[in-house]
Amino acid sequence: MKWGLVIASLIIAMSMFLYQWPKLKKQQKKEKAAFLSLTFLGLFLSVLLIFFPEMPGPTQMIDWIYKPLGRLIEK
Amino acid sequence: MLEQGKISPVQMALLMIPAIIATVLLLVPSITAKHAHHDLWLSPIWACGTGFFVVFLSYKLNKLFPEKTIIEYSEHALGKILGKLVGGIFLFFYFHATGIMVREYGEFVSGAALFHTPMAVIIGTMVLVCSFAVLGGLEVMGRASEIIVPVVILLYILLFILLIKDLEVKNLFPIMEKGIRPSLMGSIVPQSWYSEFILVSFLLPYVTNQKKGFKWGLIAVFIVLFLMVLTNIMALLLFGNLTSSLTYPVMVAARYISIADFLEHLESIVMAIWIAGTFIKITVFYYVLALGTAQWLKLSDYRPIVLPIGFLILLQGLWAARDLQELSHFLATSGAIYILSIQVVLPFILLLCASIRKKLGQRKGNKQNETPVNH
Amino acid sequence: MKLRSIIENGLLRFFLICSVISLSGCWDRNEVNDLALITAAGFDMVSDEKIELSVLVFIPKGGGSSDQAMESGNGGASQTLVRSAEGKTVADAMAKLQEKLPRKIFWGHTDVFILDEELAKKGIAGHVDFIMRHPTLRERGQIFVSSQKAKKVLKLMPPLERDLSEVLKELSQHKLGLNITTKKLAQMLIGDSGDCALPWITILPPENKEKPKQTIAYITGTAIFKKDKMIGIIDDSVTRGVLWLRNEILLGVITIKPPKTDGYISVNVLQAQSKLVPKIQNGKWIITLKSVSASDIVQNTTKLDVSNPVVLKSLEPLLAKEIEKRIKKARNQVQEEMKADIFGFAEAFHRKYPDVWNKKKNRWNEIYPNVELKFDTKCHIRRQGLTS
Repeated sequence: MKWGLVIASLIIAMSMFLYQWPKLKKQQKKEKAAFLSLTFLGLFLSVLLIFFPEMPGPTQMIDWIYKPLGRLIEK
Repeated sequence: MLEQGKISPVQMALLMIPAIIATVLLLVPSITAKHAHHDLWLSPIWACGTGFFVVFLSYKLNKLFPEKTIIEYSEHALGKILGKLVGGIFLFFYFHATGIMVREYGEFVSGAALFHTPMAVIIGTMVLVCSFAVLGGLEVMGRASEIIVPVVILLYILLFILLIKDLEVKNLFPIMEKGIRPSLMGSIVPQSWYSEFILVSFLLPYVTNQKKGFKWGLIAVFIVLFLMVLTNIMALLLFGNLTSSLTYPVMVAARYISIADFLEHLESIVMAIWIAGTFIKITVFYYVLALGTAQWLKLSDYRPIVLPIGFLILLQGLWAARDLQELSHFLATSGAIYILSIQVVLPFILLLCASIRKKLGQRKGNKQNETPVNH
Repeated sequence: MKLRSIIENGLLRFFLICSVISLSGCWDRNEVNDLALITAAGFDMVSDEKIELSVLVFIPKGGGSSDQAMESGNGGASQTLVRSAEGKTVADAMAKLQEKLPRKIFWGHTDVFILDEELAKKGIAGHVDFIMRHPTLRERGQIFVSSQKAKKVLKLMPPLERDLSEVLKELSQHKLGLNITTKKLAQMLIGDSGDCALPWITILPPENKEKPKQTIAYITGTAIFKKDKMIGIIDDSVTRGVLWLRNEILLGVITIKPPKTDGYISVNVLQAQSKLVPKIQNGKWIITLKSVSASDIVQNTTKLDVSNPVVLKSLEPLLAKEIEKRIKKARNQVQEEMKADIFGFAEAFHRKYPDVWNKKKNRWNEIYPNVELKFDTKCHIRRQGLTS
């Protein structure tokens, strides 16, 4: 099941690549780099989330930072 | 400039209204009712000041740096490194916020209608549709909002008209039973929603007439205020004390409509309103995120990174919270302060720094005869 | 270039096909012929630990033709079906019920909930919670308390209507008894006093003894709850008084006997509105019931000439007295004997005197039985019918 999800996210990444890559012009090096790095970041994150779904995320981080202030309006 | 399209001031207002209200309609009545009890309808009124202030802020900033978005001019206002950092904070914030929004959408749809459908599929289809709109560009989004938003607002008002016979005015009293404090406390969460009007500063550079854009921004705040008060009053008059214990009061209200035994079971209208509104909302945030990232990385076009960002938003939506309780608790406590600090305090500091720089620069410029802010 | 357009075309088609799959809601698709439409549900107490959930399932058939109606009289093939299951909670029973039904239980059309007396006496808050929490149950569903087992009530075959849920829905719409939806009940339960009232139903004795099931259940009064536990019943004529106090009166016939004549005059109340006006005077808690009503004369068995305005005017105070008598009766039974605040007195005081209320709300149980009730009744007889 987990590997199925990994394959699914690979398929998503692949179809994004197939859709976007031909549209990029030759001289758009920076754009290509940004596209690839963001896609790989997404893939990496998706694999992480598939295997560690309970991993604390940005929400937990923000909650931790703002907790002292947030407590003021807690009820 | 990354965006070649232009939108009219009215289109900007029509993009902003659902960008604020879509999520308000479902979650805010019960969150405000937890603090404000009977006075929940007063809270949006206290909170709307933030909305006006933020629109004013973005207009002022836009006057200082015309044709630039907040990501671009933060570098001008704060210097290169600090500016990049602030831009990064904004981008992280919008990434996080869009993920939360997408998750709210997913939670609602799976909690109220599609119980067995995996969250990833619910969220994924929405993100996919939104990504097409974002790829289409600002003009496409503007036109889509022109078609969708009036229908959404009309349907929404229709719901009220159908509910009139079930409303009980006596639920409104006593007004301010425990003084003004509960309703002020209740206004913090709506304030965080109003602060999303800072998105105007991303859209203003592409509006045909900035001055009119400012005016329409204020009108949008008014309309949002009106709809929020209407929502809260309806929830209060219909449910009274019960409001705070319902997760989605508007949804239940629509379900309660029954006219002459045949006009009933109208919750699908709420679904339609919510999904259409959320579509615009997510699209606006998504667009701002894609555009901002492209500007931050100094790319020549934002379109290449739209799809990967969509993928990241989908993942963030799944990652945002374990469940609805956690999410709504976060939004009602630290989340509200977080949203306010990034969307109100940070731009305000930016404006202060920028105007001080401009003043200093003008003095310098008088000596050296050059303009410090180059477009 | 060509490759690109082929890829794009292919992708577009792929997404279109995907959207077709998801438009039908692949994981959550519901076909009508896979659903068991529940039109009414009954909750019975079996033992201290267990409750029994009975549901009335609508059997879709091509229209109720005449011979089918005949058949249903014999208790053979009817349009409805009753199934029940036991469980610790309603949700638990529901899961077990699903085992006995080939079709998926669909709650979206459940309009009527029946609680049995034992269950009501034990407390209803937990069951109301289930009804409010469940995502597809509707908040407009009406709740009744039954003297007999709910299962028995649901098994009745009403001669006139499709099934029992239709009967009870229509009956409560006449507003001769209370008309309480789930939403109203939940509101009363978390209200200031937390006391509530529900319509009380009993089975009408069948006219034809050979077909004992061919009858209906009807509203014969009101079950009074202290907090969420039932403590007593009032009959239908007292219920009318309760309706006046709750501003829920819709129609009713009031018969008065004018002095110095033989016979009666009956009037039909057409419009009535009432309002509770609270007042705290020298530490005394007083409620004034302000009511305005308009009615028509429907029968006159006296020798009085009702076309004479003077006579008509003299009837109005009599009518007001009669109404007040009904209300007083309701008040005596509910307020003084049962000490349950089902009229919303607590809310009325809370609204008018929030400060006093917040100080004294813990003592409301002591204050309530001594709240004085005053009347300000305005009756207007508008017409005298078609003869004079």
